[in-house]
Amino acid sequence: MALNDFIPMQERCSNCSFCKWIPFDKVKSVRFAENCPAVVHGGFNTYAARGRFQMGLAIAKGELDYTDEMARITHECLDCGACDVACKVCRYNLEPLDHNRELKHDALLKGHILPAQLKMLDSFKAEKTLVVGAKKADRTKWAEGIEWAKKPEVLFFPGCKYSYDKKLQKTARNAAQLLLKAGVKLGYLGDAEMCCAGRLYQMGFFEQFDKRAEANIKAIEKSGVKTIVTPCSDCYHAFKRLYAAKGLKVEVLHVVEYLDRMLREGTLKFTKTVDMTVTYHDPCHLGRQGEPYEAWEGHEKKILNQVHTWEPRRPRYNGSKGIYEEPRNILKAIPGVKLVEMERIKEYSWCCGAGSGCSVTDKEFSEWTAKERIEEANSTGAEALVTACPWCKDNFEKAGGIKVVDIIDLALKAL
Amino acid sequence: MALSKEIYAAFEAVVGKNNISQDPGVLQTYRCRAPQSSAHYGPYDHTTPTPQAVILPGSTKEVQGVVRLCNKYKIKFKCSTTFWSAHGYIGSDYAVQIDMRRMNGVEIDEKNMIAIIQPYAIAATVQAEAMKHGLTCNIPGVGCSSAIIANTASWGGPGPSSVFTGNAYENLMCMEYVCSSGEILETGSAGYGAGWTCGEGVGPSLKAIIRGGQGTRGELGICTKMSIKLSPWPGHATLETVGTIPAYRASNMENFRAYCIDCPSWEAWGKAVMKINDNNLLYLGHRQFSMFGNEVKAAMLEIITDPEKQMADLPALMADPVVKKNNDNMAIEFHIILAGFSAKDLAWKEAALDEILKEFGCWKDEWFLEPEHEDYLKSYLMRLGHKNLNYVMIGGYEGCFGMDAANQPHTCQLIEKAFAIHKEAQVTGTYAAAVGGDTAMGSLGGHGGGGGPMGWEFFSHFDPHDPESIKGTAEYHDRGPLKFMKEYGLGVEMGHSNANCRKPDGYAFSQEEHNAKLSTLPGTNPFIYQWYVREYMNPNHLGDSYYETCDPEAVKNAVIDVNAETGLR
Ligand SMILES: Cc1cc2nc3c(=O)[nH]c(=O)nc-3n(C[C@H](O)[C@H](O)[C@H](O)COP(=O)(O)OP(=O)(O)OC[C@H]3O[C@@H](n4cnc5c(N)ncnc54)[C@H](O)[C@@H]3O)c2cc1C
Repeated sequence: MALNDFIPMQERCSNCSFCKWIPFDKVKSVRFAENCPAVVHGGFNTYAARGRFQMGLAIAKGELDYTDEMARITHECLDCGACDVACKVCRYNLEPLDHNRELKHDALLKGHILPAQLKMLDSFKAEKTLVVGAKKADRTKWAEGIEWAKKPEVLFFPGCKYSYDKKLQKTARNAAQLLLKAGVKLGYLGDAEMCCAGRLYQMGFFEQFDKRAEANIKAIEKSGVKTIVTPCSDCYHAFKRLYAAKGLKVEVLHVVEYLDRMLREGTLKFTKTVDMTVTYHDPCHLGRQGEPYEAWEGHEKKILNQVHTWEPRRPRYNGSKGIYEEPRNILKAIPGVKLVEMERIKEYSWCCGAGSGCSVTDKEFSEWTAKERIEEANSTGAEALVTACPWCKDNFEKAGGIKVVDIIDLALKAL
Repeated sequence: MALSKEIYAAFEAVVGKNNISQDPGVLQTYRCRAPQSSAHYGPYDHTTPTPQAVILPGSTKEVQGVVRLCNKYKIKFKCSTTFWSAHGYIGSDYAVQIDMRRMNGVEIDEKNMIAIIQPYAIAATVQAEAMKHGLTCNIPGVGCSSAIIANTASWGGPGPSSVFTGNAYENLMCMEYVCSSGEILETGSAGYGAGWTCGEGVGPSLKAIIRGGQGTRGELGICTKMSIKLSPWPGHATLETVGTIPAYRASNMENFRAYCIDCPSWEAWGKAVMKINDNNLLYLGHRQFSMFGNEVKAAMLEIITDPEKQMADLPALMADPVVKKNNDNMAIEFHIILAGFSAKDLAWKEAALDEILKEFGCWKDEWFLEPEHEDYLKSYLMRLGHKNLNYVMIGGYEGCFGMDAANQPHTCQLIEKAFAIHKEAQVTGTYAAAVGGDTAMGSLGGHGGGGGPMGWEFFSHFDPHDPESIKGTAEYHDRGPLKFMKEYGLGVEMGHSNANCRKPDGYAFSQEEHNAKLSTLPGTNPFIYQWYVREYMNPNHLGDSYYETCDPEAVKNAVIDVNAETGLR
């Protein structure tokens, strides 16, 4: 799709501003009622999905050209999808998140790329990772000494962050070893592993994403596995939603789903007590965006003169089928762990601030977003903020103010 | 004329560099595309003018600074919060838009049962904060996304719960108000040292500088703080909901019962509503889902309460015999919530309700007696957080008719005639959704307080992406509802209620144009009165034409047009 294809949506947005708030049924306080970090931080309507529709419409119709400020605002979107969920409490024919991405894509096509994005792109081209400064040659170091299954059935895909971030590598090792110990026939692409490019997609680099996804799909298919398991929420979303749309057929699981499955099957049992009150942060790309892909080809159709529908009925991604219970089941199964919830959770969770590359391209905004979340976490009285995504963990740690724990590490403590 | 660098810098010095913008992309997002909001003067296919700058003040002092500069440089301004409706947007070329979103404070004074709120305090957050103190607030019919101050300034705020909580304009106590001249006015009890609790201090009431039939709509200044009356909430400290998006439903409203009441005739409907109201049974009363259209409402209810369903399922659902039967049952209906301040209280209300229903042959709708549906209805109406469903059919709707049912038996007799006109338009034209003639929705609060249904707003669902659909709907509103309302002397037609406020091209009327229009109306005096108020409050005329004024000089030689289409409200 191109920006022009979004004109019907841009014109059918009713400007209600629901996209700025969590679903209203869930509002419990004035402090934590808003959902869109960009508009809370930036202030102007322009930052919210409704503003992006308005600005996008003027661009699509040729009434406006990007200024530097417009390009900056376009890219100051975390791809968190909170607007999408809030919109779809009432609307069935709008896709604010897709539009946000298309607007970024359009800006990029017209040459409006941020300097930090250029650096990420260079790194992607040269080193096959968006982690600026990382070297391809170092990618597999985290896995040294791990004995992978000879004929793997399950592929472990740690992704760039776990592979390169020294603070996180241990978590990836732990996760892999836990699964291997439990008898999972686990393999690793090794040198053949490259960035999933999900983040590129979030940033609007669709063409670059397509190329990488196609190559990765080939590598995955060649490995012959039936399942991919990843501890990274971004990779999860890339495989489960974006690669699936490009034909990837293997089952995609996040580590939390795998562990939850093992708990239910009895192949994993937590035996040690971990006395800790925790709160759980739903990563956007595992939670509301972690819904399974459903193939669809169709067109819009009006019924009853004007009522707008799709033929055939179109899959509706609104966060209802995201991964929310699996991580909570794990936490609840750990003896001694007490889970206290924040006000904004599950499909209406507040973002960590790292999405769409903003932790690199827009550091102040990204850190501010994380701090907002930490304040919310602290308001629950929890000792630690648990999450299931390395990008979230890293961003929260950079912001400081609370102990941040990867759910894999917490699970390991209880074994 | 563009804003000079010097003026921009002066504004910037007041609010800071990050809180003002002149970027074309930013300005574009402060223009209203009229067919996308029920603007009540069309629908027309235009976008309102581009502001010279958008300014986000963060305090009363900053608001004052901005307004003073507007006076100094004679720049028109308009403040707004959620920007849902066209009246929040500027109407001329040399004007700035003031976005109040940085001022969102909510403070609850439990003892005095009031909330002290800032402009960006929306009804959802005020209600959520009030609930923690065993209190709640009026949620206007537009829904909880609306800011309470803006609502008071723009429509008076009738809504489903107004029957118990009072309308927005009735709840207004004290204000801090930056007049268009730049002076700060404090109304209420400051002189008595009683804080924000007393509606008026000494002297004449100044509440009308913000509220009114349709409010002053940002014309006379900017309210920066307001205290409003709250009402008792016999529920938990938070509204808890369960269920999968979008079918969230209340899980902790045990002290409440929600019903859909079905009636055998409009006469029974009217009488039952009156009697229920006379006996003070209601915590909330509304006619809601009929807005989708009487031929689709049961099917739409299936869609919005089932996460797996969507609009493409509408035809199959409409053909389903069970859904059809439900639809027939709820043909003439209204929705209510009863609250129990004690178990005995609830039991008494239930018994009284049953007796009234028996008397008029009405019954409790079976579909809504299902616990899941009742719980859905409870949270839906109590929070009113799904109001963008107004636009669910395609993306655009405009309200029309708007018979004020203060004279309830009269309008109950006429309503079926209106349905026939509405239905015929859907059959003879394809510009609006063919969902049935009865698309009438409204709150059982009564605009002037008291009981009975308020204005029955009929929904015309049209496509804001299709110029033909927009044009056809506008034409129908002219020849159908407008003619009907005039013929029966039913007052202002809702779809035209702002016809004197903004022109079909999106611009404000000039004073001369207003004079020409308003001076010939029967009953011009209120507009002359408003002219004097405006001269005092806003001497430099920095607003637009939503606050309708008529220069007394213009009336002198005017000939009254007894057939004038719009008049007093
Ligand atoms: C779909 C829809 C349904 C509606 N249904 C109802 C209904 O059932 N009941 C009802 O009462 N209204 C209804 N309305 C009208 C509605 O009340 C107002 O549009 C709404 O309350 C305004 O709230 P807002 O937060 O969107 O205000 P805005 O659009 O931000 O502002 C509304 C007006 O108030 C003025 N204003 C805003 N802030 C201030 C301030 N601080 N000081 C002075 N003036 C200010 C603005 O200039 C503007 O003219 C409906 C509107 C729509 C779009």
